[in-house]
Amino acid sequence: MLQVNSVRKVYQAANDRYVALDGVNLDIADGEFLCLLGPSGCGKSTLLNILAGFESVSAGSVTSNGVAIRGAGRDRVMFFQDAGSALLPWLTVEENVRFALRVRKVPKPQWAGIIDQYLTMVDLGRHRGKFPAQLSGGMRQRLQIARALAVEPQVLLMDEPFAALDAFTRRRMHAVLLEIWQRTRKTIVFVTHDIAEAVVLADRIGVMSVGPNSNITKLIGVDLPRPRDLGDPAVAHIFNDIERLLAPDVMRAEERSASGAQVG
Amino acid sequence: MGRRLAETASRMPHDPANVARGRLNFENYRAGLSTIASIATALVAWHLLSTYVFNPFLIPPPLAVARAAIPMLLSGEIISDVAISMVRVLVGFITGSLVGVAMGVLLGRIRLLHDLLDPIIELLRYLSPTAMIPIAVIWFGIGELSKYFLIFWGTFFIVLINTIAGVWRAPIARQRAAECLGANRLQIFALVVVPSAVPYIVTGMRIAMASSFMSIIPAEILAADSGIGYLLQKSSMLLQTNRIFVALLTICILGFVVDRIFRLIVDRTLARYMAFVSQT
Repeated sequence: MLQVNSVRKVYQAANDRYVALDGVNLDIADGEFLCLLGPSGCGKSTLLNILAGFESVSAGSVTSNGVAIRGAGRDRVMFFQDAGSALLPWLTVEENVRFALRVRKVPKPQWAGIIDQYLTMVDLGRHRGKFPAQLSGGMRQRLQIARALAVEPQVLLMDEPFAALDAFTRRRMHAVLLEIWQRTRKTIVFVTHDIAEAVVLADRIGVMSVGPNSNITKLIGVDLPRPRDLGDPAVAHIFNDIERLLAPDVMRAEERSASGAQVG
Repeated sequence: MGRRLAETASRMPHDPANVARGRLNFENYRAGLSTIASIATALVAWHLLSTYVFNPFLIPPPLAVARAAIPMLLSGEIISDVAISMVRVLVGFITGSLVGVAMGVLLGRIRLLHDLLDPIIELLRYLSPTAMIPIAVIWFGIGELSKYFLIFWGTFFIVLINTIAGVWRAPIARQRAAECLGANRLQIFALVVVPSAVPYIVTGMRIAMASSFMSIIPAEILAADSGIGYLLQKSSMLLQTNRIFVALLTICILGFVVDRIFRLIVDRTLARYMAFVSQT
């Protein structure tokens, strides 16, 4: 269980002070699929980095199973949009997973079995000898998933993981991720600016306001069976609700970035 | 691209694309042909200019240079000069690269160390090896040690600065991903940051290698009794322009060949670290 209590995040530059997050409260249950949704500059990535332990809070607290988060922990793994950066390009598919098992100090006799299991799960078994540069964008993201799952975290933190993929690959990745989630019941915190993506994937959607002083303005439960189709009236209804809710913020975010203001 | 097309075509004899095979083969050799054409044109131009336009004594024609080169090769004179210069370059280059990489990864990683040493490095790097020749001779004499030192000096700063840049540019996402997976600080440094810096380090070493070949010559001209630079100096004193041209050509060929060998070694040993994956 992840808990965020009245979190405030202030970025302090020489003569510039920017309050990115202010008064953020959120409880994320074990096994939940939660999407953080908002236009750019709403601090959703900042919040995810705080949950990962990469950034500290200025006030308030974040805990994982009741223990304060200070730095990266065994229970949480971050998943990056730019797989080319996140993976080790000088290692093959198989070696990338082996790297994770090595630094996690998994006993060596177990390696082969774990590598087989997760590469098969993401359908990369036939490509285990290839280097990341020889894979497509979607395959690289699948490798990132396999590598993250191999160390058996409780929580996957995903920062707009599929935003750089083409629409078809993204839809396939949604199916892959949902299947893995349903099978493994990991907690997933998924940051996106794509309403459709959030509605298709999430149990709950935390809608964030544009900064400064961002917080979660609304938590929307999506209690619909998966796979979800945007053509389904119930799904479309939620999509439209969120779009209406975000419309003023999207305009504000646009104006802010046009005026060159700092985006957190 | 041309080579790949040609290979594909030859593997499929019945492929209609094979009709264009002759053309594809020409594509295949185009790079080699244009290199030969370029050098041949230069030789002809050199010959014409030196024979009909300039004084052949000041610019000896290619055939005269070749005639001068043959006895130098046969007697082993040029070979031993090349070997002496090469050893000087390699000793200075290898030690300079080792120390440059070692200090570079430390300075790239330890902010305080970098901030303390960077101002000094920023000043000293303007002292080219040539500028250091007079003091090197006083410190180390005109023997081998002063040459090692000068090449070391030139290599060290180039490799150091490139290594620091490479360490700084190790993607933050890659380091954080490793941290999440359970890597400790030492593992992130040794298994993620340093390998990520390899392309920058190799680039620095290649530049340093080229600069070593440039610095060894003035060092040998001013303070040596052997090596290609000394050969240049001696030939100049005796007004032997033929031999000067032999020495100059030798430097060209040597630099080119050594760079190719360097690239070959990198390809054989470090190829997987040179792969670069950008956005998904």
